Amino acid sequence: MRAEVISLEFTGLDESAYALAASPGFAKDGFCFAATSEGLHRSTDGGRDWKLLRITDEPVYQMAATALAVSPAFGQDRTVFAAVKGGILRSSDGGDTWFAAKFPAPPPLFTTLAISPNFAQDGLMLAGAMEDGVFSSTDRGVNWQPWNFGLFDLGVLCLAASPHLGEDETIFAGTETGLYRSANGGRAWREIGFPSEFAPVLSLAYTAGKDEPLLLAGTEDKGLFISCDEGASWDRTSPDALPGSVNQLQILYKSDGHAEIYALAEDGVLSSRDAGQNWDFLIRTEVPPTAILVPDPGGEAMFLGLTGKGIVQYEL
Amino acid sequence: MSEKPPFHSRKTYRPGLVFQPQAQENIKRGLNTLVSAIRPTLGPTARTVAVTSLIENKDTPEVLDDGGIIARRVIELHRRDADVGAMLARALICRQNERMGDGSATAAVLLQAIYNGGLHYLASGGNAMRLRHHLERALEKSLVALDEQTYTVEGKHRLAQVAESICHDPDLAKLLGEIFDIIGAYGRLDIRKDHSRILRREYIEGMAWDSGLFSRDMIVNRSELQTVYEEPALVLVDSKVNDPRHIMPMLEIAVDQEIEKLILVAADLSAEAMAGLMMANGKLKNFQVMAVKGPGMNADDRAAAFEDIAIATGAKTLVEAAGDGLKDVTYGHFGRARRGWASAHNFGVIGGKGDPRKLRQHISRLQGWLEQSDDPLMREALQKRIGRLMGGSATLWIGGVSEIEIDQQKTLAEKTASAMRAAVSDGVLPGGGMAYMNCRSVLESKSQAGDDPDERAAHRILFDALAEPARAIYENAGYEPGEVIAKLSDLDNGFGFDVISGAITNGGELVDSAAVMKAALRNAVLTAGMMLTIDVIAHHQTPEIARQPG
Repeated sequence: MRAEVISLEFTGLDESAYALAASPGFAKDGFCFAATSEGLHRSTDGGRDWKLLRITDEPVYQMAATALAVSPAFGQDRTVFAAVKGGILRSSDGGDTWFAAKFPAPPPLFTTLAISPNFAQDGLMLAGAMEDGVFSSTDRGVNWQPWNFGLFDLGVLCLAASPHLGEDETIFAGTETGLYRSANGGRAWREIGFPSEFAPVLSLAYTAGKDEPLLLAGTEDKGLFISCDEGASWDRTSPDALPGSVNQLQILYKSDGHAEIYALAEDGVLSSRDAGQNWDFLIRTEVPPTAILVPDPGGEAMFLGLTGKGIVQYEL
Repeated sequence: MSEKPPFHSRKTYRPGLVFQPQAQENIKRGLNTLVSAIRPTLGPTARTVAVTSLIENKDTPEVLDDGGIIARRVIELHRRDADVGAMLARALICRQNERMGDGSATAAVLLQAIYNGGLHYLASGGNAMRLRHHLERALEKSLVALDEQTYTVEGKHRLAQVAESICHDPDLAKLLGEIFDIIGAYGRLDIRKDHSRILRREYIEGMAWDSGLFSRDMIVNRSELQTVYEEPALVLVDSKVNDPRHIMPMLEIAVDQEIEKLILVAADLSAEAMAGLMMANGKLKNFQVMAVKGPGMNADDRAAAFEDIAIATGAKTLVEAAGDGLKDVTYGHFGRARRGWASAHNFGVIGGKGDPRKLRQHISRLQGWLEQSDDPLMREALQKRIGRLMGGSATLWIGGVSEIEIDQQKTLAEKTASAMRAAVSDGVLPGGGMAYMNCRSVLESKSQAGDDPDERAAHRILFDALAEPARAIYENAGYEPGEVIAKLSDLDNGFGFDVISGAITNGGELVDSAAVMKAALRNAVLTAGMMLTIDVIAHHQTPEIARQPG
């Protein structure tokens, strides 16, 4: 099914958004966050108005935010994380106040954050960094330690946790030169059979529901790859629709039970409703998009970060 | 006090030849004598064997429950014809123990069953060479059947179960399960004695080598007795740096390229060159250098270590054999890392900035060598190199209430770790001898209906032998093997008998390392086949004093 863009609205931000995240209860509470080149922004009214958050008095943190993660239990714990250069910030009050976690020098440049679907119970978070591999926290982001055993390439660009992380402890990490899998919640990594000539892997999405597991890997310039055997073998999908970079992937489970997958390409957003086999353009953009967020499982709103043009909100 | 005789009798034998049927009868006697001493140690309820001490003033016998060590202690049987059979079995058992760390009692029991069955058949007029050929064919079928039962184990809880099935020590098994969940088949694990009373483990990030700073004057953090550099560059030179003038090109490049931290790894460093580096630390603004001894006890070790550091960091080693010394350094020789550290005795790098693809290829090459190598020392060295390059290591500290307990626990941990590596690498099989029992179905038809009598006999012999490990396990635990096997024969392949609980379980809980079980079967069949073809024993005048296995 091809979704139609009904309307679009500019938010008034001028800079590029690197990451977008929303509360799981977005439809009710309207909380969403944007990591931009200027800093961290928050909207509490469903994305109509955005406010630059004052993170801390320390000037080092008044800078670009690169990744975001919102607790799956945000409605109760109000916890949100933001990666900035050299640190990870944690807020337990929906973004009003922030605390910075300490990391060993030299300061890591974080590229991605992954939060356990079972965060309320296990407090597990992982952060990928450009030169330092993967850091992990098992105490809700207070303390972090490097978990890089078996990770030959410490240039981590993306992480994807299993929706059943509590049971299968499976996490994938995309790097500059390949793809790694952890079967123990990130404590150790094993390289999986992703052809290294297609790396870097910029984006990952993983689903393991009732159907066979589906792992998608978006590359820098070789399109999108799919694996149905947890990374042992790979097929390139829709090279015509997705010929180049795939910067971000998002899986959204619709109310009717099936998954819709969104891919952020160089010139717009594509979607697939058949487990990544076929892709259709949902939105074409004039400038390269930088981040995507479909916060509502009902799929009525989409936020898109555009290079130099802030965040655009679409109604689907 | 009268002097004890030396442990090995120095009597001189007469040379001679022993023909059939005495040759095989005596070989059988020797084999059965040795295996009878090892058979009680098979299974989780292993009984023990007391071995009198070889040391003159130590009267307490050793109490052992490891078939491999027991076989090692038996260096000669009194009767030299029988000794031939015992020593052939000993070689097999020791090889299994050294190579796999486990399965030596299983291999011994299999060998005994196959050999005795084969000898019985040959007595009725069978052909030894043809029997051997068909035994090897039947072995291939059995190995395929074992492959079909093999499955991988992941997760610390399942790996702890595997460890417990090997060591029968829940606390040790729990820690080894966690460690192997992290380090995998190739990761580095050091097992060391501890002064505490408990078992504990430690994980170390990055790559570390057992060599440290040339001078304690280079230690910056006096409380932790180490120096840590952020974003250091590395220069590797595999020869001695004698002339202090030779360090100048390296320092000039470092200053030109605005390198603030530099680690020089050299085979050796003269006092004058060290003084030059210390002077650079004092004089050059925003620049620090430390000099570290090249790791390795000999030239081969050192070359290997330099190669590993170079690939991990992207450095190019200045190799003396190629005519290069430190004076020839260029910027292209410099490697990089996120962090580097050194103490008086160790140094390491974290986040080496070499090409990950080259590192991956290098590790694959080392893994290939490891798989091909049979030399225990070579294997150990390769294992260490691979583990180091994997980006971290684990240390298991063994504590206890006495030195004897710590020693025993350390030996048990080493043996279990060796078998765990094989289990993680090659998967596991149903335990308690059930994997072998399950293989019997592929041999059954040929054992009854084959055209060739030698082929039929070979299949029947292996069919019967495959039940022997399970029978020994049940027997050692005090059960009647026939009854248990009869009960299990009514059930599907997935069921086994847990001798600890005395209950039939439906698999999963009882596991054995697939590599260990396959190696035990392969070694037993090949050794038995070879022994069955022996026709004549030839004795030298003086036998060797102690035979090495293998």
